Amino acid sequence: MSWMHTTFALILLPAIVVGMFRILRGPTAADRMVTAQLFGTCGVAILLLLGTGMGNPVLLDIALVFALLAALTTMTFIRRTWHGSGKKKHGHPIP
Amino acid sequence: MVPEKKNMDILYHSGTVLILLGLSFFLSGTVGLIRFPDIYTRLHALTKADNVGLGFVVSGLALQSGSWAVTAKLLLIWLLVLIASSASCHLIARSAMQKNIQPWTR
Amino acid sequence: MSYFIFTIFDIVLVLSMVWIAWHLLGTEDIFKAVVLFISFGLLMALAWVRMRAPDVALAEAALGAGLTGPLFLSALRRMNRPRKGERRLDSDEKR
Repeated sequence: MSWMHTTFALILLPAIVVGMFRILRGPTAADRMVTAQLFGTCGVAILLLLGTGMGNPVLLDIALVFALLAALTTMTFIRRTWHGSGKKKHGHPIP
Repeated sequence: MVPEKKNMDILYHSGTVLILLGLSFFLSGTVGLIRFPDIYTRLHALTKADNVGLGFVVSGLALQSGSWAVTAKLLLIWLLVLIASSASCHLIARSAMQKNIQPWTR
Repeated sequence: MSYFIFTIFDIVLVLSMVWIAWHLLGTEDIFKAVVLFISFGLLMALAWVRMRAPDVALAEAALGAGLTGPLFLSALRRMNRPRKGERRLDSDEKR
């Protein structure tokens, strides 16, 4: 049990809570999704710090699962919910 | 025996400093996500928090862990987050460009 | 010292979970509710970790944050697009 790492995790937790405001009033859907992605990375960091703080190395595996599955949500969001519209002015079209 | 102990102490404290640096990157990323005016600038803040912040936290914990297996797992986690965040931020920015969302100008 | 910091961590975690659940149930925008649900799953995994159940936290991380999010996003796309011979009465609502 190391209280220092738990304090670091406790510092990261309000970052999630403050980021909630961007979900509540993001103008576009992508702003909300980007905030959810930041939550995922913050959660990975909190899990790593808690794994040292609680002395439980199993938490590294949970962080690994989070890191694996974090990309899935954003990819699905781009492919299913938020395509580019018909007019392709910039960039390459998404296949 | 004594130099070994001192060596471990130096590793531990430098790991603490690295974790604190990573925490500052995370907090500034959150502040940027709240304060920035545009999806592109918010993506900029997010990628700094993701890659550099988690990189500092992971390297600090790896210095403090003292075991090669834990270090390898931490580096694997960081590599996965790096790939996922850069790929998805690129996709979001490209999709925003295709939706004709104009970048913010003063 | 350690127990003090863990207690503060638990209190902040529980309060933010209640806040997120409040907004999740109260919002009218379905996409916002989906993103809030993903963040709620992340905090729920942290809560399972704090309740010393890392296996349940692993399942929650894989299901709650990783798989239900993309499933909800796919279902959202199906909801907004009417089927071939079907007219929807509320098809003029735009996200």
